[in-house]
Formats: sequence, structure tokens, C-alpha cells
Amino acid sequence: MYTSVLKRLGTYLIISLVTSSALAQDKVTFQLDWLPGGDKAPVYVAIDKGFFAKQNLEVKISHGRGSTDSLTKLAMGMSDIGYADLSSLLTAKAQSNIQVSAVMSVFNKAPHAFFTLEDSGVTKASDIKGKRIATSAFTSSNVFLPLLMELNQVPKNSIRFIKADPGALGPMLVTGNTDVVISWLTDSVKYQSQANNIGKKLTVLPWYDAGLEFYATVLIGNDKFLNNKPDIAKRFLIAYKKAIEFTWQHPQQAAEIVNKIVPEVDKKVALETITSIKGLVFNEVTKAHGLGAINKERLATSWSWVAKSQGFEHSKLDPETAINRSLLPPVNTTSSLVNAEAAL
Amino acid sequence: MHKFNLSFSQLLPSLTLLALLPIWETAVYIFEIPNFLLPAPSEIMQAFLNVEWSRWSTHLWATLRVAILGFLMSLCISIPLAVIMVRSKFLAKTIYPLLVIIQSTPVVAIAPLLIVMFGAGESPRLAITCLITFFPLVVSATTGMMSTPEELIELSKSLGASPAKEIWHIRLPYAVPHIFSGMKVAITLSIIGAVVAEFVAAEQGLGYFVQFSTSYFKIPQAFAALLFLSVLSLLLFKAVQLVQYLFFRWSLQK
Repeated sequence: MYTSVLKRLGTYLIISLVTSSALAQDKVTFQLDWLPGGDKAPVYVAIDKGFFAKQNLEVKISHGRGSTDSLTKLAMGMSDIGYADLSSLLTAKAQSNIQVSAVMSVFNKAPHAFFTLEDSGVTKASDIKGKRIATSAFTSSNVFLPLLMELNQVPKNSIRFIKADPGALGPMLVTGNTDVVISWLTDSVKYQSQANNIGKKLTVLPWYDAGLEFYATVLIGNDKFLNNKPDIAKRFLIAYKKAIEFTWQHPQQAAEIVNKIVPEVDKKVALETITSIKGLVFNEVTKAHGLGAINKERLATSWSWVAKSQGFEHSKLDPETAINRSLLPPVNTTSSLVNAEAAL
Repeated sequence: MHKFNLSFSQLLPSLTLLALLPIWETAVYIFEIPNFLLPAPSEIMQAFLNVEWSRWSTHLWATLRVAILGFLMSLCISIPLAVIMVRSKFLAKTIYPLLVIIQSTPVVAIAPLLIVMFGAGESPRLAITCLITFFPLVVSATTGMMSTPEELIELSKSLGASPAKEIWHIRLPYAVPHIFSGMKVAITLSIIGAVVAEFVAAEQGLGYFVQFSTSYFKIPQAFAALLFLSVLSLLLFKAVQLVQYLFFRWSLQK
């Protein structure tokens, strides 16, 4: 009697142990570089559509407050993998032995842009001469502004620079407290709706059109995580890549998912953001090198811009040491989405 | 006898605020102030109603939890600290400068470092709230205990009272009104502490929601959250008054 009960108990224990270990998913903490929004849709899509679950991953999202904050949290191991600006990574790498590496590119074009009202007379980057320009204090855009001005022959002292809280920039533009605002293309929709309030149209001038071409947002991983758990990192990237493609194939659904997980994000704004930034993800660079790839030459160009803007010796850092290409799934330059977008 | 009922004089502040609302509303319409500068009360109300109650309650609870827990932690640290400083002149001289240094360090500036030190989760937010609230508590408790009439201390000593009894039965009761004054300052600071922490690292909370709303230029919504925060501060302030009234009625000024 006792032995049969013990046997049953033993069998039950073994089965439950085996099943629980089989069901246990690998936990990954994903670091956002800012608050949730349409531009961060892929990670929410991957959670909701079960792309992560299919790779046996359980992903938790941690919100960030800028690239530097994100890099710090990744380096401290508070998060495993997440978004940050490549320029911030290279700057940090050049100055310290920060234990993080870029594994995949997300925005292979810089999202920095000038936002101005249509009647401001600013139609190209060189028109900012003599204008008041507002920017937030900690954006990485500020680092590249002097370079952009040099490229477009705008003398340094010809503009009036105003630093303000990111939330104040839109109101400052529409109230006429500034002529131009520096922000990211990911915020176009928000600025447009502000301009609509006063019945005006917004002009957006991306800096890549003014000669500033380099990688922007990349996925960065904590080195310990990447080296000790390469299998988890690889599975994460497979799911993430799939989610990127899904997001821009089904933007409406992706926006709904972001709103479902973070109800504070407006569905309509999320959709407009996803649609408006398609060109940062799918473009001629994606067609040439593949989705997510970090190309050696383009990386070298990105570093030369960063070095120049920060006043570093070019030899201070080999940008290749900031990259780990061993984890990205094989790049596909023949995907229909990549080609369709590049053709646009 | 002090009364804790709602008399006209107590309702006066609320009535003043209510009377301001129509003036605010009309001013916004007459001077055509755009909503991103100063939204009209009606617009703030609309923004408030547009957000589901379940979202409000999530954010409200997150902030309230951090504020109250941080405040209680601070209380648990500051009263013993005050006792130590009253008992030992040597420790008072060593600890006090440290406290002043901590107080004069802008917590907002070191908040990002605290997040890194304490890791993810609620602990950095509690630490920030605690740092912001504990100084008025320590100062008020120390001042209260030091203001005990010397003759009472002498008397207790001549009757052979132990140092613990001297603190518990004489100094602390004398300090109660002071401690409650400190608590009233600290409880409103605890909301500020929680919001500062949420601005630096949080996934929910009213401070996070204000930041979220302004980053999407939803100014009326940010105002709604701000008003919520003000109401929360008022309620917590009243709660401290209520605790004093219920348990330490004798300490209220006649």
C-alpha cells in the first residue's frame, strides 16, 4: 500500500519536474531607450503574436529615459538586450570599457530632423541661418548638429540655440518661441498634431537628406549575456526580426497590439508613427545589406562622424570592437518587403 | 476642545478653489489661451474622463504605494536617529553634518545613480522618496526632544528613571507636536519624491503618466494627472492630521 503510494508520488514528482523544466521559458529583459510608442512596436508585436514564446523566451520590457540611460542599464546587467543609439555606444566605448555590444541595426538611417512650420521660410538645412533653434538638453542630435552645420555651410554663431524639456519643444514651436525644433522623425506625428492645433502645416527636414548618413538605433546586448547565453540571444533576434517584418507588413495590427499592452499609447498615433518611420527601417541600405545587418563600411562612416563630432582621434576606437555579428540570423536581402520599400 | 468636523472655515479653501474654476475657464476662452499652454478646466475634466478608471487606479496606486512606503521607511529611520542624536552629543556632532550634506545634495541630480545602485524595481523609488522625506522628520523629532524642559529631565533622573524611560515617557511625548509638524511636511514631500523617482525610472505611476502625456504633447491629460497628484497630497496631509487627532489629540494646540 505505502510503496504504491510512494511510487505514484515519485512518478508524479518526476513528471512534474520534467514538464516544468520543459515549460520553463528563458527570461530576457528588454530595455527600451525611451517611453513606449509606435516606434517601439516590434517588441510588443513579438510578445503578443507569440514570436518570443515560439523561441521559448519570456520577455519583460523595461522603459528607458534616453540612450545613455539604456546603455547604463544594459552595462549594469539590469537588462539583457535593448535599444540605444549607435553613436552613444561608440562614444561610450571610446571613453570606457563598457561591456556591451551592438548585435543588430534597427534604424539604419539617422532619425534626427529639423521641424519647422511651413511659413518659417526654412525649406532646407542651410536655411537655418539666423534662426532660433530649440532642442532638448540630452538628445544625441545635439552632438551632430555642429557637423550638419559645417556640411551645409551654416556659421556656428549664426543661430540661436535654446535648450528645453522635450515636452516643451512642440508648444514652443507653435507659439513662435522658436523657429526650428530638433527632434526625431519618430515624433513627426506628435509635432504635426500640435501644428494642426493652430491650423498650420509642419515641414520636416531629415538630416540624412542634408548629408548626415549613418546608423542610428541598434539593438545592444550586455556582453555577459551575449557570451554566456548566445543561444538565447540568437533566438531573441530571430523572433525580433520576424516582429519587425510583421510590424511593417501589418502596421494597423501592430498599433493595436502596442495599445493593448500599453493603453496609454494612442492607437491612431502609434499607427501614424509606424507608417511614418518605415523609411528608417526599410530603405536602400536595407536592400543593399539586409535587414538588421551592420555593414562594415557604413559602421566605419558612422564612427568617423561620431569621432569628428566628439573631437576624438579617429584611431581612438576600432568600431568593429563594439559589434558582435555572430548572433544575427542570416540576413535576407531578397525579402519582398525589403525590396518593395527600397523601390519606393 | 479641538474639533475635527467640517465647519465653514474648513471648507473655505475648497470653496476658494471652486470659485477659481469659472474664472480660469472664462479666461482661457476670452484670451484664447491654447490648450498646450493652459488647458481650460473643462478640457482637463474631459481628458480625465477619456482615460479609463482602471488606468488611473493603476498609476494612482503605484505612486501612493511608493509615497506611503517611502514615508514610513523614513519615519522608521528618522525617529531612532533623532533619539541617538539626543542621547549622544558626540554622535549628534558626527551625524548632523552628514544629514545636512545628504539634504543639500539635489536628489533629482543623483536619482539616475540611485537607480543604477538599487537596481530595477521599487527599491530605488523608495530610496529616493526616503531621502527626500527624512530630513524634516529628523530635524523636527530632534528639536522636539531637545525642547523638553530641563527640570523634567532633572526630576526623572532624581527619581532614578532609566535613559529609555526618559526618552519614552518624557522626551518623545514632548516631541509629538514637533514630529507631527515634520510629518506634515514630509508626507507632501513623499509625493514629490515618488514623482521624481518615476520621472527617472518607472513603468507606471502618476509622475510617469505626466511625463508620458507631455512627451505625447497631451497637455490637458498631464494637467489631469497633476491635479490628481495635488489631491493626493492634500488627502495624505489630511490623513496625518487625522492620525494626530485620533491618537494624539492631547498634542493638538488648543
